[in-house]
Amino acid sequence: MFQLTDIPRLLPEILLLVLALLVLGSDILERWGRSPSAQLERVKSSASLTAIGLGMVLAVALLQSGYIYQLPETAPVNFFTNIIRNLQSGGPSNEGAIAGVFVVDHLTMIARLLIIGAALLTSLLCLDIRPDAHPGEFYALIIFATLGMCLMVGANELLLAYLAIELTSIPLYLLAGYFRNNARSAEAGLKYFLFGAISSAILLYGMSMAFGAALNGVSGAANMNDLTRFNRIGAFTSSSGSLITMAMLFIIAGMGYKLAVVPFHGWSPDVYEGAPAPVTAFISTASKAAGFILLFRLLTETFPAMAGAPVLGDDAGGWTAVLAVLALLTVVIGNLAALPQNNARRLLAYSSIAHAGFVLLGMLAWAAAQPFDREQGLIALLYYLIIYSLTNLGAFGVLALIGQQVGGEDFAHLRGLSRRNLPLALLFTVCILSLAGIPPLGGFFAKFYIFMAGWQSGATWLVIIAVVMTIVSLYYYLRLLKVMFIEPTTDLSPVTMPRGIAAALTIAVVGVLVLGIFPNVILSVLEKV
Amino acid sequence: MLNAVPLPAVLTLAAALFCIGLFGALSRRNLIGVLMGVELMLNAVNINLIAFWRYFEPRYITGQTFAIFIIAVAAAEAAVGLAMVIAVYRHYVSVNADEVDRLRG
Repeated sequence: MFQLTDIPRLLPEILLLVLALLVLGSDILERWGRSPSAQLERVKSSASLTAIGLGMVLAVALLQSGYIYQLPETAPVNFFTNIIRNLQSGGPSNEGAIAGVFVVDHLTMIARLLIIGAALLTSLLCLDIRPDAHPGEFYALIIFATLGMCLMVGANELLLAYLAIELTSIPLYLLAGYFRNNARSAEAGLKYFLFGAISSAILLYGMSMAFGAALNGVSGAANMNDLTRFNRIGAFTSSSGSLITMAMLFIIAGMGYKLAVVPFHGWSPDVYEGAPAPVTAFISTASKAAGFILLFRLLTETFPAMAGAPVLGDDAGGWTAVLAVLALLTVVIGNLAALPQNNARRLLAYSSIAHAGFVLLGMLAWAAAQPFDREQGLIALLYYLIIYSLTNLGAFGVLALIGQQVGGEDFAHLRGLSRRNLPLALLFTVCILSLAGIPPLGGFFAKFYIFMAGWQSGATWLVIIAVVMTIVSLYYYLRLLKVMFIEPTTDLSPVTMPRGIAAALTIAVVGVLVLGIFPNVILSVLEKV
Repeated sequence: MLNAVPLPAVLTLAAALFCIGLFGALSRRNLIGVLMGVELMLNAVNINLIAFWRYFEPRYITGQTFAIFIIAVAAAEAAVGLAMVIAVYRHYVSVNADEVDRLRG
């Protein structure tokens, strides 16, 4: 049952909904002039309202989570402590799910912070983008997608999970195709939509079979009204049975499309190349992170009996075996396909496919025998997602700027960037090196933890291949650096950096550096999971 | 009625519909045809859910509710999809998937 005390637990989602309606409403209800300066004013007001609003939601969520400041029990009672106490009463806890469908535990809270943070950085990247007709829609869609992702990470029930996925995907299709006067953007939106629609249908088919398997497994007059909840399905289905196995395969395939895992990755290079650059940054980070956490919940709670083992041997099987094969394909094909690319965005698209493979590797640890290893796997997974999101937001942010100022993201456009704007080139270098996994940046420790978790869980052969592929990936990352720093260029006109993008890039790069040099800062929080 | 049509028959129908839809979505060159394939797949899911509801738990409405939500979301999705197809048509003057290929690497 939904209770009034559940409202603070849903506070970030409620605030996001209010903010989205506010952005939409403030754009529609205000009478804007027709002149270009009035239209510019209109874009700026929507953009800054979004950025400030998301910043406030992030601050409230941080305060609510209690990771930075937890109000002591003995605090004096006054106006401010009462506000904080009420906020933190809705913080992460082990209480039951809200209305049985939405869990607010530490995993949800950390993922929420990650997603809202990524949305904030995206909105900073968007400060200087100029959506043509109705800017309010553009920014409101970003917030609606954020809301969908926040629901996705806490979803504990099939219907809510599906609705959250659609609430995320539909705004993202629209955002990818938002510049409909630009053929590439329209095409990217359409491709994203077609693949997304097919994957939703596949996912739903799997969900319907999981529901059927649970109904089939329940005996007698048990309460049959909640059989779409993940853990109830897990409780009433056995480890073998064709229906539940099919359900698992369909769900992995459907989620695999959303996460751009090989062999379901066909759409992602095209979409990443054609969509507006800040939107690409958003799709490649926040929506992926949310998808991975939903996949994690789906697999561990709905199919706990079918985990299997990721080792090659007699006991191979279950969803870890499926994930192991997908991870292998993703890491190998993602990295090899990135080698011949000549467009920086396409290159980063293949690199993020490869990174999805590493994240899958972290998920395999769930099949480890020791609970300690499982926890380490989940921590490694979250740490990887956080670092990867920061880095990719930074990298795509740089490309957004270059696309805007130089007119494209081919290697030719990047040539001689170090002489045109050295700070920008350095920021990009940090992001690229972190993606490549060079110490002491965050990317190195993220990869290290993932490999350790994979090794502990027994997928040694996979870890070895992943390490080899990391070395292969150095080739194309360093090629980007070579183009920027060494190759000659005739055009030496300086590239200016607008304030919004500069702020976003600085936050991202500082985050990567700090979390890389002092991983303990965040690991102590992640250990609560 | 329940005895007249056994559950496996209904599920087979849904599976066949799903396969036809998936085949259509993957093989049609016409973008509208792809959308029609997706709709078939979603309707196969609806049949599945309704069948499970009717044969296993007719006293509760989980399956039914799920199907109604899917119908509503599918309508929203189709609206977005058709708008995208129109946007693409304006640039390429074609709804053939093979001709919409400006993005490739």
